[in-house]
Amino acid sequence: MSVVAHLPRRAQSLTEEEAESPPAMELTGRHRMSEDERTVAATIFDEFHADPRYREFVLGCLNCGECTTGCPAARFYDFSPREMLQIAATGDATTLWDALQEKIWACCQCYTCNMRCRFGNDIAGIISVMRELSVIHGLESTRRTLAPFGRSLTLLMTVGTQVSSDMIQPDFFRDWGPFATGSDQVWQVTPEVMRKAIPLDVLQTTRSSWEVSVQTSLELFRIYEETGVLDMLRGLDPDLTEMLVDIVEERREEFAEARERFSSELAGQRGPVATFTG
Amino acid sequence: MLSASEIRKVVEERTLHQKGTGKKVVDVREEMERLEDRGEILVHHIRPENRPVATTTLFGWTKQIPTDRLWHHKSCGQCGNIPGYPSSLLWLMNETGRTYLNEPHQTSCTAWNYHGTATSNPVALAAVAARNFHRAYETDHFPLIHCGTSYGDYKEMRKLLVENAAVREKVRAVLRKMGRDLVLPEEIVHYSEWVHVMAPEILARQQHPVRGIIATVHEPCHYYKMVPEDAIYDDRVYAGQRPAVPSGILLELGATVADYSTWYDCCGFGFRHILSEREFSRSFANLRKIRPMVEEAHADVAITSDTGCVTTLDKSQWIGKAHGAAYMLPVLSDVQFVALALGAHPYKVAQVHWHAASAEGLMTKMGIDWNRAKGEFQEYLRALKDGARPELLHPAHGEIEQFFAINKGQVLPDEARASTLNPTPPRSEGRGAD
Ligand code: SF4
Ligand code: SF4
Repeated sequence: MSVVAHLPRRAQSLTEEEAESPPAMELTGRHRMSEDERTVAATIFDEFHADPRYREFVLGCLNCGECTTGCPAARFYDFSPREMLQIAATGDATTLWDALQEKIWACCQCYTCNMRCRFGNDIAGIISVMRELSVIHGLESTRRTLAPFGRSLTLLMTVGTQVSSDMIQPDFFRDWGPFATGSDQVWQVTPEVMRKAIPLDVLQTTRSSWEVSVQTSLELFRIYEETGVLDMLRGLDPDLTEMLVDIVEERREEFAEARERFSSELAGQRGPVATFTG
Repeated sequence: MLSASEIRKVVEERTLHQKGTGKKVVDVREEMERLEDRGEILVHHIRPENRPVATTTLFGWTKQIPTDRLWHHKSCGQCGNIPGYPSSLLWLMNETGRTYLNEPHQTSCTAWNYHGTATSNPVALAAVAARNFHRAYETDHFPLIHCGTSYGDYKEMRKLLVENAAVREKVRAVLRKMGRDLVLPEEIVHYSEWVHVMAPEILARQQHPVRGIIATVHEPCHYYKMVPEDAIYDDRVYAGQRPAVPSGILLELGATVADYSTWYDCCGFGFRHILSEREFSRSFANLRKIRPMVEEAHADVAITSDTGCVTTLDKSQWIGKAHGAAYMLPVLSDVQFVALALGAHPYKVAQVHWHAASAEGLMTKMGIDWNRAKGEFQEYLRALKDGARPELLHPAHGEIEQFFAINKGQVLPDEARASTLNPTPPRSEGRGAD
């Protein structure tokens, strides 16, 4: 038997009355929601409650605040996991919409709240569900929040690692100080030579965390295509997504050419290397 | 807000729910066995060739840690910006004669991105995990996971794949499109667990005493706060009240592990924050972690065992000078500290020059002649600049492996599947393979 069923639940979406009368918070000077925003908020609310993870992650709340006591984000932001859980458990479409605008992005995903919650709520997890919905629906606030991630998303989608040493540029990471980047300025060699001095051949690149084989990166891209991640990204940043598709198309051609070039070595191979064509 | 009677009811129901489903205490490995018996999944078993050592988890369950024939599941953050982390680990494997593969045929777990931007979903994360698991399986090397977040994510994904038939079917369908199958490893193993159980062999090789060195440990959140039941505990470490890793190996080496009031806090990495809201990361790291480590515990070094933690605690300190807090406490992974204590080259192997807070003072206390080593490294860089061949810890990969995840003669443990692969004897990349 699930406990969630016993939590007082608001309507699954906005009632006519709610839709027509602005919620109290708006009277205190909050941004007034447009009709379109109300519709999206109602859809998100329904999808949130229909997500199978909802019943697993939100088990009830005593309002004890144990989660917030250990929360790093609560120390520096106007944010609390207790509030997030309360919004998930009993909030309405408007409250959820409000949380999606900014608060959900304060969370560090450290899972301290989960460890401390006597109810066994997965608070970090339910915040991730909220974030996913804000990405899927391409909320303007989410676009702004994730705008600095174009480079790391490109790496992640095309080769499957998220950092490269050429991303750690001294200019961008000034607050890390002069010794933080294995810097060529300190050692007076190029970044490429610094990477050559790592005794692992697959790490001797500046463009990715390690060299990822083309087959592996194409398999990853296939996962993104098949599991809806590419569509998710399209909703958020269509231009970036088209660029990624182009990059991967080129890699597919490169892979097909390599299959010809290495045909004799590949002839004896079985398993994934033989069946996967990109 | 719930009324008092509603709260009572919720507590009651919650208790029943826990008792009825056993949700929080179920051993996922038992369910894995049942699924394997029904032919629904393949299990990558730990075999005698993996030379396992038994440990105990939070709930007192036994967890086998394989120590040989390992498949290195690298970390994108470590390899990208603190490369002395993986190179120290592979160096240690060579020193102790362990065999391994360090392949280009793996992706990261992609969970940094998920926890930072949510531009993924559980089916995709599970498929990424399963693709990497299958690659390890087809090489007959057991996956050893370098990153705390990958470890946490893979524990979650294994649980999800075991408990949720619908996700299992979706992931299987995706894997089939690339000629792969659904395999789950018998244990999800973090490299720090390997270091922990290798203590006797590590101690036998110790060259530099560390008695008198005060180390403060930052326990990586994703090691023990995600799927807590898989983390290992040891009665000799904080009487089994805190995770065994990475404190255990420091105590074994003879260092003093000093406590500090905020040990339970995260490091401030935040996934998103370390890239786009660094004012949070650096404030949190300095105020909540580094300051108590230095002022309460008088630490000589901070030791941790995860990618994001080393990065945040180390790289956030320099800017503290702006507020008169120039602690510059060296921050190393456990395995870098071990490598230094065993006489590894501080620059060529432990690659300490990628860290922002200098480890030179620490090395002096350990009796390491870092000045000489630095001169050697400068010479080495000059030689590389002039086109010298780099020194490597294992043989280089061939050109074909830039493209194809070829089978290099490994044989699947499962006989039924062995016929689908090239049946020549296995060969590892690690020097210890000979
Ligand atoms: S996971 Fe998020 S909400 Fe929970 S304690 Fe960490 S920062 Fe706070
Ligand atoms: S710890 Fe759990 S029960 Fe307590 S306030 Fe947080 S979510 Fe609610």
